[in-house]
Amino acid sequence: MAKEMIAMLLAGGQGSRLYALTQKLAKPAVPFGGKYRIIDFPLSNCINSGIDTVGILTQYQPLVLNEYIGNGQPWDLDRLHGGVHVLPPYQQASGSDWYKGTANAIYQNISFIERYNPQYVIILSGDQICKQDYSDFLRFHKEKNAEFSVAVMEVPWEEAPRFGLMVTDENDKITEFQEKPKNPKSNLASMGIYIFNWDILKKYLIEDEADPESENDFGNNIIPNLLRDNRNMYAYHFSGYWKDVGTISSLWEANMEVLDPEHSGINLFDDDWKIYSRNSGMTGHKITGSAIVENSMITDGCRIAGDVKHSILFAGVRVEPGAKVQDAVIMGGTVIKAGAVVEHCIIAENVVIGENAQVGAMPDADEGSVATVGPGIYVGANAKIGPNAMVSQNVKGGEEQW
Amino acid sequence: MVNSNSDALGIIFPNSYDSLVPELVSERLMASIPFAGRYRLVDFILSSMVNCGIDNISIIVRQNYHSLLDHLGSGREWDLTRKNGGLNIVPPFADKAVKVYGGRVEALASILHFLRSQKEKYVVLSDANIAVNFDFKDFVNSHIESGADVTVAYVREELPAGLLKLRPESKVFYYTLNLNQDHVEKIYINPTMSGPQNLSMNIYAMERERLIDEIKTAFVRGHIYFERDILAPQLDKLHVHAYECQSYTARISDMKSYFDENMKLLYDENLDALFSGNPIYTKIRDDNPTRYIPGAIAKNVMAADGCIIEGEVENSILFRGVKVGKGAKIKNCVLMQDTIVEDGASLEYFISDKNVTITAGKVIKGTDTFPVYAAKRQVV
Repeated sequence: MAKEMIAMLLAGGQGSRLYALTQKLAKPAVPFGGKYRIIDFPLSNCINSGIDTVGILTQYQPLVLNEYIGNGQPWDLDRLHGGVHVLPPYQQASGSDWYKGTANAIYQNISFIERYNPQYVIILSGDQICKQDYSDFLRFHKEKNAEFSVAVMEVPWEEAPRFGLMVTDENDKITEFQEKPKNPKSNLASMGIYIFNWDILKKYLIEDEADPESENDFGNNIIPNLLRDNRNMYAYHFSGYWKDVGTISSLWEANMEVLDPEHSGINLFDDDWKIYSRNSGMTGHKITGSAIVENSMITDGCRIAGDVKHSILFAGVRVEPGAKVQDAVIMGGTVIKAGAVVEHCIIAENVVIGENAQVGAMPDADEGSVATVGPGIYVGANAKIGPNAMVSQNVKGGEEQW
Repeated sequence: MVNSNSDALGIIFPNSYDSLVPELVSERLMASIPFAGRYRLVDFILSSMVNCGIDNISIIVRQNYHSLLDHLGSGREWDLTRKNGGLNIVPPFADKAVKVYGGRVEALASILHFLRSQKEKYVVLSDANIAVNFDFKDFVNSHIESGADVTVAYVREELPAGLLKLRPESKVFYYTLNLNQDHVEKIYINPTMSGPQNLSMNIYAMERERLIDEIKTAFVRGHIYFERDILAPQLDKLHVHAYECQSYTARISDMKSYFDENMKLLYDENLDALFSGNPIYTKIRDDNPTRYIPGAIAKNVMAADGCIIEGEVENSILFRGVKVGKGAKIKNCVLMQDTIVEDGASLEYFISDKNVTITAGKVIKGTDTFPVYAAKRQVV
């Protein structure tokens, strides 16, 4: 049975700019927004758009990601025909290869795609927070009679040089592609989300693989080759919330934006476009009489006895009496002991912040750096973690780290 | 089989004691009454069985069971979508004389064929009116070690007010046990003694073949109730072993106890006692985390996911998806899933059922002894 469109999700990114958070975790598995992981967004978008077949391409620290995806049931992607499949690189008769680039990752899985004989393939990225209706994108692709379409966002002109830019004519037809140019001719940034006609994609993947000079990358190789051949290429304008959460500060910022959906546009409270996730199964959260909770998101299993302001707490976080939490992202199972002060920071899963310890600091100016504590770390009593710190080893009581 | 599973199958009677809480079961049954913020009562017994390796569970429904079917689905959340065993929901079999079951004997008689064809050596039977993290493994082991014909679980506590209020003509029965060591010597039906009693939980373990024999005989004689008609009259012949349950239990025996048992969970020691053991599974709703908007004040609150809180909430239990508007004041309330409290409304000692809306500015006050209740989908 042929599928109209299947999705290939690039989830192999190491996420090296997230440092301590991704030492043992692929970037798409990084927790986000109180009860989600980054990959919940593209997976939920798929199922909400009617795409029931998704290949997830992984190769970096896949353990947590594989377990998290499981049989795909939380996203309704456990299907008889199709569903979600995790696709690591594998050994073949001709030898084995790691995925050399984004295009090579898809090339190595041509046989997976052919099992479903799709007309279209959508290429997704596993490191963005975005709610997007891919079926509307496909409608555009078909209307334009396109062979390749890319989703683009308008960005401020001064920021344009940081992006891959699509130069288009008045019909949204792409005439030129500029990768991080000094002198941008367009402010339409590629979101790294593409729809290809499968026959075209396959042809160019095979051609690209045969080129020893190629980096096997969509942006650097495949798209320029399509342009060279004057293919029907169109840019699809997307105007909703979209954020690349590849750095500590953008990850922190995106979490904080969840607390202000009225302005940021990232609304997780949308019954018509639910974001699905694997649930903690913990009981409801509990706020004691002595606690203060202001402008925060709290999820199942939390026990709050201290002050929590403008923060996001994941499942099972405990904040003991007298502890203060502000502008913080605190991931699952972490304990903030009595009297500790935790500000303007990201604290990963299963961390213990000892009594009266201090982590991070409220910034003086607008641009403050975000202190980060990696998973499973123990920060001893009275320790001090400075606002620039990236903690990936236990900190003894009373020690300081800046 | 190479596993640590109990060699027992489970049978749950979800309609037992429905008539004690007529308001709550007007559109559901005892087993699907929402409890503790995000659960239904059946989740506790069902999860307890699953956590002890019982993965062949039948639920014999009698009436008003749509909400239960919706809640249980295929049983996936309890890990009960199995090729062998799994979850088996048995509705009444409508024949020429359509009549719903009157008691456990009739209910069990309707699944005798099924029981005969199963492989497990033992059967555990339970109602769904008690929220408890029950150790079925220890219970079944205790039954096997005692060599008894039947083992019954009981708690040592005073009789709940809701049971003492029962009218003599009502067909609702509860039982206390007179014990000699762990041996049941006498079963009292609807006693009214004061002070701590050995109050039966109506949870039983026995051999499957034995159950089949007893039910077959009793059914032919026109008997209805398992305890009254099978156990009580045969105590001289049967070795009935008593097993004291030391776990935290929350028994629903009237509206007041429903309110109180929810409220008790605001104390950490109670919440920990009920939930710190094995996990209790429930239907997943994929709600977002609960959001406290600037201006919200929360003191001593247990809230599930999906709530949006802009007003003041104190000493209350909020189920999934409750919305509390600006300036609203909630005190000593149990608000079930998707209750909407609009701006400026004020509620005290109030129980709202699912999907209730309290319009802006309304003031409703119940009392500690008589909380006000608003039925499902009501707009106040």
